[in-house]
Amino acid sequence: MKCVIAGAHLRGVVKTYNLTFQECDPLQAVFAKHMCPNILKVHSRLLADIMIHFPTSQEEVTLSVTPMKVCFKSYTEEDTDFSKTMLTEIQLNPDEFDYFQVGVDSEVTFCLKELRGLLAFSEATSAPVSIHFDVSGKPIAFSIEDMVLEASFILATLSDIEKETASQQPPCFSQRQESSKTCMGKSEKTSLDKDSNTAAVASKKPQWNGNALITESAKPTSPLAEREIKSIPRVTKKDRTGTEGTATTAAEDHATPEGEAAASRYQEFHSLFFGAVSCKEQAASSHISHSLATASDTEEDFGNVQSSQVL
Amino acid sequence: MRFRAKIVDLACLNHFSRVINTIAKLAKTCTLRLTVCKLYFILSDKVANGGVSMWCELCQGNFFDEFHMEGVAAEHNEIYLELVPENLSRALKTAQSAKAVKIKLTNKHCPCLRVAVELPSLSSSSRIVTHDIPVGVIPRRLWNDFREPSVPDFDVSIYLPVLKTMKSVVERMKNLSNSIVIEANLRGEMNLKIETDLVSVTTHFKDLGNPPWASEDGCQSSAQGRDLERVAEARIDIKKLQQLLAGQQVNPTKALCNIVSKRIVHFILLHEDVSLQYFIPALA
Repeated sequence: MKCVIAGAHLRGVVKTYNLTFQECDPLQAVFAKHMCPNILKVHSRLLADIMIHFPTSQEEVTLSVTPMKVCFKSYTEEDTDFSKTMLTEIQLNPDEFDYFQVGVDSEVTFCLKELRGLLAFSEATSAPVSIHFDVSGKPIAFSIEDMVLEASFILATLSDIEKETASQQPPCFSQRQESSKTCMGKSEKTSLDKDSNTAAVASKKPQWNGNALITESAKPTSPLAEREIKSIPRVTKKDRTGTEGTATTAAEDHATPEGEAAASRYQEFHSLFFGAVSCKEQAASSHISHSLATASDTEEDFGNVQSSQVL
Repeated sequence: MRFRAKIVDLACLNHFSRVINTIAKLAKTCTLRLTVCKLYFILSDKVANGGVSMWCELCQGNFFDEFHMEGVAAEHNEIYLELVPENLSRALKTAQSAKAVKIKLTNKHCPCLRVAVELPSLSSSSRIVTHDIPVGVIPRRLWNDFREPSVPDFDVSIYLPVLKTMKSVVERMKNLSNSIVIEANLRGEMNLKIETDLVSVTTHFKDLGNPPWASEDGCQSSAQGRDLERVAEARIDIKKLQQLLAGQQVNPTKALCNIVSKRIVHFILLHEDVSLQYFIPALA
């Protein structure tokens, strides 16, 4: 499929860009943000000011909270060679946060590298960042909400349990979606919270309905690679109609055999990044999902959504 | 063995950071020697360094508001630590606007220099960023390896040209050749030469001046007693020279080099409160 962007310049020169894209099945993480006991809200500038103290090569970072203090520190494990590693720790006062709620003392470890992308993005929008999380092992969500967009980054966190036996084919994915609501027409105000009424809280053993996505390649050695993430947001494919002016970009989709997988390796789970699209759901017909990007050479006709066959 | 120091003044902190940045550019690993009055960053001339050695000396009083040191023993009141200066540089990099920086020798999992940076924050209490930099404690029996190098019996001593100019010349020459010849005489003239199969390039510097060196027996370098036409030259690794010049972040008060023909070039860069000596051996 092609997306054509054409511009008309002065003197009659027209530049045309042909961008190819592939359709895929948008996935939505089933993750109940509103059920997280710990919520921090902070300006993206502050978050960037904190992360700058960590070297760019730092992979994992641990966030430790109590009602009295917040601490970000380099992740270490028992067999870290302390004589070779420089460790950094940043202590903050709860006062520094626009909103601070700690329901349960927790220490969660997540991938900083993934987060830096979101930080750069949020600085551009200069919207505050909300952090929803629970205890270790449960996902942590970083979200931005703005007038024109809503974005969420859901990252797995390291669980305390040591490695488990892996399944034969671990499902894993890396997918990014953004939803943008245009101002014209009636844009439906949607939020993950509404959607996730139907969702279970992250379950211990992730179940996959239908197909799952695989990332292109496994991450290079990460200390978390040896561990299994026990709870991953349960993912279902939902059928959606596109809201007006909704555009999504999605990663590649590879087919995998249907079925359950016990747990996935962290190294193949990067992040789920997606925005709320619509709260309408249709009865799942797992073989057909609607493509959210319409290919057309004419003006967009929002009612006309093409269906695509799932591979 | 104890060490605790604190910098509160922002200008001192920036100055100290600049020194550390310079050291970090010159050595991947080096030795930090702490005494009651001074800090030294030392690189001894092991084969692994390509024979290069460095001696950098700071007066602690010029940088630190608080400085407490207790050496390994009363009669050996010094501490020798092996560290990666890049780590220290990184820890200080984000301390530009700090209220205070504290450095302490600790031993939690292993010996570390703990750098605690107190940063201003929007709330009532400050933000504290702590960096634990692993260090190796060097035992006393190895301290002899790190003695101050003596000034070599040089043939010519000459002031360096403006470092910025010298740096840009050397940087361009670096693209053409791996080695560079430094040639100087007692008339204050210096040449930087490279020669390859295709091209040879020489840059001439004039009126640099020769520093007067006092000595007891008077046989060294009083210009009258020496042959003014005498020329000293040494071929050295151009990358090492470029590293030295690139690492200078501030113009030194005095910059000179002593050349022992075909043996070694000894650079001395003096600032108000820091002195840096750098030895580059001549290539065979």
